[in-house]
Formats: sequence, C-alpha cells, structure tokens
Amino acid sequence: MKSWTSTAVALLLLAGGCASYSNTENSSSQIAFGADVARKGLWREAAFRFEQAIAKDPKNARAHNNLAVALEASGEFARALTEYKKALELAPNDTYIRRNYARFAEFYTSYTRTTGKTAGAS
Amino acid sequence: MPRRTAAAAFALLLGAAPVWAGVSQVRLQLPLRPRLPLRGNERIVLAPFLIVAEAEKARDKRLQNVDLQAEFHRFLQKQLGKKTRLEVVEAPADIKLPTQNLTELTHAVDFWKALGNSTNADIIVSGSLEFKIEDRSGYKTEEYVSPINGQTYYRQVYVEQTGFLFDIVFLVFDGHSGEKLLQDEFKDFRQTGGRRADELQGLFENLFSLENQILNLFVAREREADRYIFTD
Repeated sequence: MKSWTSTAVALLLLAGGCASYSNTENSSSQIAFGADVARKGLWREAAFRFEQAIAKDPKNARAHNNLAVALEASGEFARALTEYKKALELAPNDTYIRRNYARFAEFYTSYTRTTGKTAGAS
Repeated sequence: MPRRTAAAAFALLLGAAPVWAGVSQVRLQLPLRPRLPLRGNERIVLAPFLIVAEAEKARDKRLQNVDLQAEFHRFLQKQLGKKTRLEVVEAPADIKLPTQNLTELTHAVDFWKALGNSTNADIIVSGSLEFKIEDRSGYKTEEYVSPINGQTYYRQVYVEQTGFLFDIVFLVFDGHSGEKLLQDEFKDFRQTGGRRADELQGLFENLFSLENQILNLFVAREREADRYIFTD
C-alpha cells in the first residue's frame, strides 16, 4: 500500500512537471515567462518574450498589452503607444488594458509636451 | 499516513501550478522630460515674482509673518543649486518689475532683454505667487439612514476645513532676446488639522509637494507609475 502511494505521488509530480513545461512553445507560456521576468525588473527579456508570444498569436491582446508595458518601462514610448493601441483594438472592453492605456496616454502627453523653443535660439 | 502523503503532494502540485487568468500590477519608473529644452548648464536669473495675495495678506494677520518673495526665492535657489547644473546668478538688488500685471509682464520683452544683458543670463525666471489661507468650512449635505425606519434622509452637517493654497505662475524668458519661452501654473492645496496651523509650515508643505513639478521645468525627473500585466 505504501509503495503504491509513493508511486502515485511520483507519477502525479511528474505529470505536473510535464504539464508546466510541455507548452513552452505556445504564446501563453511565453507570456507567463515574460511576466515572471518583468516582475523581477528584467524588461528587455520580458519584451522579447512578449514579442515571441505575438509572433505565435498576433491577435493576442494580452501579449500586446504586456509588450506595451515592457516597452514603456524600457523608454520606448512611441512603440509602446502602438502596442497599447493594438491591444485595445483587439480587446476594447478589457478593463486592465483600458486603464493601462489611459494612464500611459496621460504620461505620454505630458512627456511630449515641450515648448519647442530653446534659450538663445532666436 | 498515505492520506497525509497524498495531501502533501496535492499541495505541492497546487504550489507548482501556474496562476490561471492572472493579472499582476507592476511599478515602473518613468522619465519626465524637462519642459524647457536646455543644455543644462545655462546661467539663470531669478527675478522677483508678482505677489498676488496682497489684499488677502492685509486681511489675514497670520500671512503678514510670511515674506513670500524671500522664502520662495530662497527655496528655488536652493533647489536649483542642489538638483540641477544651472548656474544661478543673483539679480541686481534694486531690480523693480515694470508692471504689476502678469499679462503685461509676459510682454515686457525689452525689460527682460535688458536684464538678460546686464546679468549675462541665458534664462530669466519670474511670474506670480499667491499664498493664502482658505477656509472651506461650511454646511454640507450628507446622506443619513434612519435606524428607526431605515429610510434615507439628507441632513446638513458643519464641516470644518481649513488649508493653505499656493499658486505659482512661472514665466521663463530668454535672456538674450527677452522672448517668453514658457508659461506654466502649479497649484497645491494642503488641508490642515485645525484653524491654528503654522503658516510657514503650510507654505513649505505646499512647496515640497510642488518641488518635482517645479524642477521638471529645468531638468529631467522621474515618476512612479503602476501598470497591469497579464501573467498567462
């Protein structure tokens, strides 16, 4: 009985492990990995993972949203804007994407707002 | 015993399982580009500011203790000296603004050009300052649910709210041409605990909360921002 239980537990663990890693090639797992490294502040790696996810599933709004955040964190604001717009186009009712886009738009507007004149230029 | 082992294995599996339908909040450090496109090492003159609240000052004795012009100049000079590479140049002690009207001040090109030439400054900062004690106390309508019949009524309650309001209009001029480079306004209201709050403390509370915005006129700053990322 004891050996049967041990075998069952080992098989369950093995099955769990396989389930986690069998789908490394799909967009979901790229997003999961990207989100994991993003939370550690590794935004370049995260952006690469989200780009991979988009390559596998171009209509994945979540991947576009995440890529936008990663690009924003890396200072690539113009590209971030494009990605936020794509995400919103694909999932116009998603609350999180809408919130992200609104906050980004506020930041980006103030970021690009300069006087256009330089001291001593005239 | 086998049951306990199975439960432990199940818990282990749960822990190892990915988070389904997850959203995570992340914090970003975003750069704020300076509002003025400067090299960073320009010579800057802090000209006097128009003081807007003169009438208010006469009414409120507490404001008479605050030399707004001197305190603001000292604050600005200190911040620019510490947090930028700008060279702060002293304005002539006897300098007098040509007008007490902000719009006219904006268009006083000759005055700013002359000041720029006499001090050899690249940029000149002026504008207007308003600091006042705002009493926002008064009756406000609030909802009230009766514990007797459970119905909702409206009642008037007296709410005491006093605070310090600080309003700065910044004017930045080109020291060589006298032309206006930028005009911007910052406002801050700090609510105080009671009616007897110290006015100088109130002033500096206002100024410190505006510090980032003021410095961002001249140099790049950072701000924190939260975003959502999907985890699957």
